[in-house]
Amino acid sequence: MEPLQEYLTDLVEPQHRQKVNIIPDHITMLHSTKSKKQLSRKRRAHKSRTLSRRDYAKLGLHTLPTRQMRYEQALPLHKLWKGYIREHLDLSEGDLVPEVHDPRYEEFSKQLVKIDLHGAQLRVIQSKCPTLVGLSGICLLDSKNVLKLLGEDHRLRTIPKSECVFGMLVGNMEFTIFGQHLNIRPAERSVKKIKGFIEPFM
Amino acid sequence: MAKNKRKVFGQRHVCSRMNFLYQAANLMAQNNNNTLAAYYGKLCRNVGTKAVMHIAPAVKRTLCKRCSLPLLPGVNTALVVEQEHEVPSTAKAGGKRRNRRRRRRRRGKPAKGQANAEASGSRSGSEQKSTTIDDNATLQLQCGLCQKQRRFCVDAEKECWLERPEALAQVITMNARQGVAALHRDSYSCDKPTADH
Repeated sequence: MEPLQEYLTDLVEPQHRQKVNIIPDHITMLHSTKSKKQLSRKRRAHKSRTLSRRDYAKLGLHTLPTRQMRYEQALPLHKLWKGYIREHLDLSEGDLVPEVHDPRYEEFSKQLVKIDLHGAQLRVIQSKCPTLVGLSGICLLDSKNVLKLLGEDHRLRTIPKSECVFGMLVGNMEFTIFGQHLNIRPAERSVKKIKGFIEPFM
Repeated sequence: MAKNKRKVFGQRHVCSRMNFLYQAANLMAQNNNNTLAAYYGKLCRNVGTKAVMHIAPAVKRTLCKRCSLPLLPGVNTALVVEQEHEVPSTAKAGGKRRNRRRRRRRRGKPAKGQANAEASGSRSGSEQKSTTIDDNATLQLQCGLCQKQRRFCVDAEKECWLERPEALAQVITMNARQGVAALHRDSYSCDKPTADH
């Protein structure tokens, strides 16, 4: 109330300031914006059930320490992934990559794009950034723009997808993945429609 | 029928991916790596949402509802078995209105049948119940990461529709070649409950 009265008197010409008489009843103060209590019941109930992004960060779920995990701890995941990839691509022992004229080829390559990379042993073959070339490791985290690889030196490295070309070894088959085309959120990748022909970059 | 088969076949890859992610989440939870376990659990759920594919309710309940961490009692989860007749004392302690309401409803049901039995031998009954689990007990699971508490009824007769044998429309067995972990997943019909009403 005080600063408001001061402000109003300041607006009046200096010689008339003495005559200013403000009646406090005439001032109506407006309260601040919507208070927390006004949230609807439904929303309040929903709030306790789900984890907000802030809570999620507070629990430390966004942070993966660089040097915490050992390479040996990731090996069971890699083993699990090997079983998964064999099931996903419908492979048997000693299978080779189907040739372009093979009827299986189209189906095979479509499924190849949709694979889950968590647990895969990846290697950076080619990159715009020369320091990234040659890094290898087991992929632990796959986000829209970045892969996190756990190297054999027990270090977790963050590698941008769009700048790199990755190599992946499955049994005796070797795949080259252009990271540019992996720039999809991992949950959406298995549903995403894929064009028949994609131009490689570089 | 042929149309249905083709549709299921298209979902096969999503199914195997979700299965893999669920197993990975469990593996990470056993190694006490909560960050990755919660991440894989969440991703498993998200893939299911995106591809419109439902996880069987029994499997779904093993993931924390709030942070998607696989709940392994003894590793990252506190498991408490609550007995029905002890509930009124804890209800006073718990301040939440919603919980109290739920308890009141539960308390009302067994009162008719069990009132006489409990009145006659309440002391001996309470001693017995502390060692054995009866149908009225509730399981309380508390997630070690986000402290979310969930209660489940032990009573085997109270099951949701999808767990009943009538809900089963078609069983698809995926014949994985060689030593790949065999995967069984039942397809539940979503149309059936609406058809009955």
